[in-house]
Amino acid sequence: MPRAARSGGPVARVHRSSLLLIYLLLVAALAGCGRTSPVSDSAEETSSTAGPLRIGAIPDQDPEVLQRLYGTVADSLADALDVDVEYVPVTDYAAAVSLFRTGDLDLVWFGGLTGVQARLQTPGAVPIAQRDIDEEFHSVFVVNSATGLAPSDDLAPLAGLRFTYGSETSTSGRLMPAHFLTEQGVEPGGFPGGPGFSGSHDATLALVASGTYEAGVLNEQVYEARAAAGEIDPSVVRYARTPAYHDYHWLLGPGAIDRFGEDLPDRLTGYFTGLSAEDPADAEVLELFGAGSFVPTEASNYDQIERIGRDLGLVN
Amino acid sequence: MTAVRTPPVAPRLRRDRRRWAWGLGGVAVLGWSLAGAGLFSGPVVNPAGVRQFGRFASAALSPAHDAEFLGVLAEATLVTVAYAALGAALAVALGAIGAVGLARTTWGRRRAGWTVSRSLLAVPRGLHEAVWGLLLLNVLGLDPWVGVLAIGIPYGAVTAKVFADLLDEVPRGGYEALLAAGAGRGSAALYGLLPSAAGGLLSYSFYRLECAVRSAVVLGLIGAGGLGYQLALSFASLRWEQVWAAVYALAALCMLADLGGRAVRRRVAAPRPAGGQAPTRDPLLTGAVVGSLALMAWSWWFLALTPATLTAGRTLDQLGYVLRAAWPPAADGDLLAAVAVAAVDTVQMSVIAIALATASALGVSGLAARRPGAGPGRWALGAGIRFALLLLRAVPPPVWALVLLFVLLPGVLPGALALGVYTLGVLGRLVAEATEEVDPRPRASLRVAGASRLGGWLYGVLPALSGPVLALALYRWEVAIRDTVLVGLLGAGGIGVLLSGRIAAFDWAAVTTVLATIVLLSLAVDLLSERTRTALR
Repeated sequence: MPRAARSGGPVARVHRSSLLLIYLLLVAALAGCGRTSPVSDSAEETSSTAGPLRIGAIPDQDPEVLQRLYGTVADSLADALDVDVEYVPVTDYAAAVSLFRTGDLDLVWFGGLTGVQARLQTPGAVPIAQRDIDEEFHSVFVVNSATGLAPSDDLAPLAGLRFTYGSETSTSGRLMPAHFLTEQGVEPGGFPGGPGFSGSHDATLALVASGTYEAGVLNEQVYEARAAAGEIDPSVVRYARTPAYHDYHWLLGPGAIDRFGEDLPDRLTGYFTGLSAEDPADAEVLELFGAGSFVPTEASNYDQIERIGRDLGLVN
Repeated sequence: MTAVRTPPVAPRLRRDRRRWAWGLGGVAVLGWSLAGAGLFSGPVVNPAGVRQFGRFASAALSPAHDAEFLGVLAEATLVTVAYAALGAALAVALGAIGAVGLARTTWGRRRAGWTVSRSLLAVPRGLHEAVWGLLLLNVLGLDPWVGVLAIGIPYGAVTAKVFADLLDEVPRGGYEALLAAGAGRGSAALYGLLPSAAGGLLSYSFYRLECAVRSAVVLGLIGAGGLGYQLALSFASLRWEQVWAAVYALAALCMLADLGGRAVRRRVAAPRPAGGQAPTRDPLLTGAVVGSLALMAWSWWFLALTPATLTAGRTLDQLGYVLRAAWPPAADGDLLAAVAVAAVDTVQMSVIAIALATASALGVSGLAARRPGAGPGRWALGAGIRFALLLLRAVPPPVWALVLLFVLLPGVLPGALALGVYTLGVLGRLVAEATEEVDPRPRASLRVAGASRLGGWLYGVLPALSGPVLALALYRWEVAIRDTVLVGLLGAGGIGVLLSGRIAAFDWAAVTTVLATIVLLSLAVDLLSERTRTALR
């Protein structure tokens, strides 16, 4: 007897059971809609609460350590302020600025220049605090030993070398070094073949070590950390140190002030400046940022950065 | 049977002038590109960087494997899978809708309408997934839709084109019979065209899923989460052991997607014999379709997507902000001059990349192809080469760009070679698969007649292979143009350098100009490669 002649034969059964499976899966999917996403906090917050305070940091020094140990910072902040704190990971300087503008990030650890960009794009943003070392931050110029250059304060000999900056909108790896080069009469966009942009402080070190670029510039804090760990290639020579400037700071967005109250900036500044190296939990946070302590800061500290940024076409 | 037969007339062999013209043109363009990369005007190699390169290479043998990091990778892998599944699903859905508007069948003799609809595709297709990701991030913020749409939009456009071609190429007898019998065009296409095209459509959909895995990783580099995100973090501090661990996780994912897709494609190409009974469903194909639907449902749940964000007031506000800042495009002389120079660099980079990838892919294809019945030594060699190709395409192009920059001097060349190495990973596999499909008999008979291994390959395989390989290479050329943006994001030359600079400065008007240039470039390359393919056919 031909099987197809029987109604409800195997063909139809397979069909029905797969439809049932699809239906069940759809139900399961819809039931899961209340879940929070592993990549972001759901944009729709319940209106009765202010939702969590979303913090983030530009990926600068050891981003993998900072972004993966974010629980430390978030927990400490949540305990001190008695609000929910959520750490949002970011990999890109420009993305951090955009996400601050869109309100996805409330409180962000910005570099000097990215902080200025974010503040100009987000009216009502308030600088909260900076590290003790950020009041007087430095960059270091490094050269490959094959150039034969001895450490000096004169930047002019760098003009004839293949030269790389770090990330394009890095304050310590691009903006301030370009400014100090200009002051000494070196065209910051010159150099044979044009300057390179390695993308990160560590990449700058590796590219100068390899000799692909004969000279480069990076964040002094990163240089010191790598030197202390014995990770700097012997062919990299520390050539010069820039004068001091203001750099990294915490910036708070206007959306968070609306949600948590007018006193939020003061409470946050109080929390950061109150972190003490004596307290083991506080010390952990301070160490993560490579800071001895945090100190208050204000917008005018970054006027010089804004001016230079405009000259270089990095601030519109 | 002694009828006198005229001896068969041997076809006159002569060189095809048109092919020669295209071939010589190709060689000239390659020479021009190599000259542009500085190959003939001074040193390009930096031997002192071998030690830095060695650090990267030796870390491949000791990937990070502490429990904590593996946990991080496991969660990241799930995110990548979810993005890939939903992105590919969106692409197939968009492709199915778009194919209707693109098929010659729809337009019939109205060529103008067909041409306009094809050119409209250039915008979604011409921009790389990472660029879509960056743009969407500015509108949607940190929403998982960013990753899904960034894969779905460009892939959807490519899929629509391929689907339309598949629909146009199936036998039209049933369709025309239905039309003649008075059926409407819609139902005639549904019952007369779709069933015969279904196999091809299914195969291609699974192929897209494999590609989507790699794209999901690239999106991680711009901050959309997943394996690429972890890779980018470790890459920024040059923690090569961690980078390699992420690369291996990605390679494993690609291999799984590849195995699944291969099983489906093989079954579609050679359906089970129906036997005498009524047609039954193929359990493998049914399982694959149901499994994919389950994967999509899980991904939707895992990423917690809500359609509401797409129409939320904030999304529209941000869209308005970006559009106001981006229009009108910047057109000052300095920018245009820089764009022109970068565009030339981009073309030269893509040409070098494709030439390198095609030549090398041909070189390894004989060994990389599976040959049933060969000994275990040959099998192990083939598997080893296929694994090496997998690694070449699992390491993202920006990483290749930096490590090649250690051993090469700055310029266009490191970026071009980085793209070439990555494209070799993709093309090597495609060429090997094409080799498997070549008729084995000419080579076998040459070998029995005493030809050497090389001779057998040169005269028995290569002639049959050259057509498909050139078609694949020309197709990847257009992809390489878009990919130059990726190495440019790390400063390795080409128009990507300009793009990343303008994005970093939030100069949206200039970004519009650069993006328009990229779209035009990829459109031009697409047209050129289409003409070349026609000439070589």
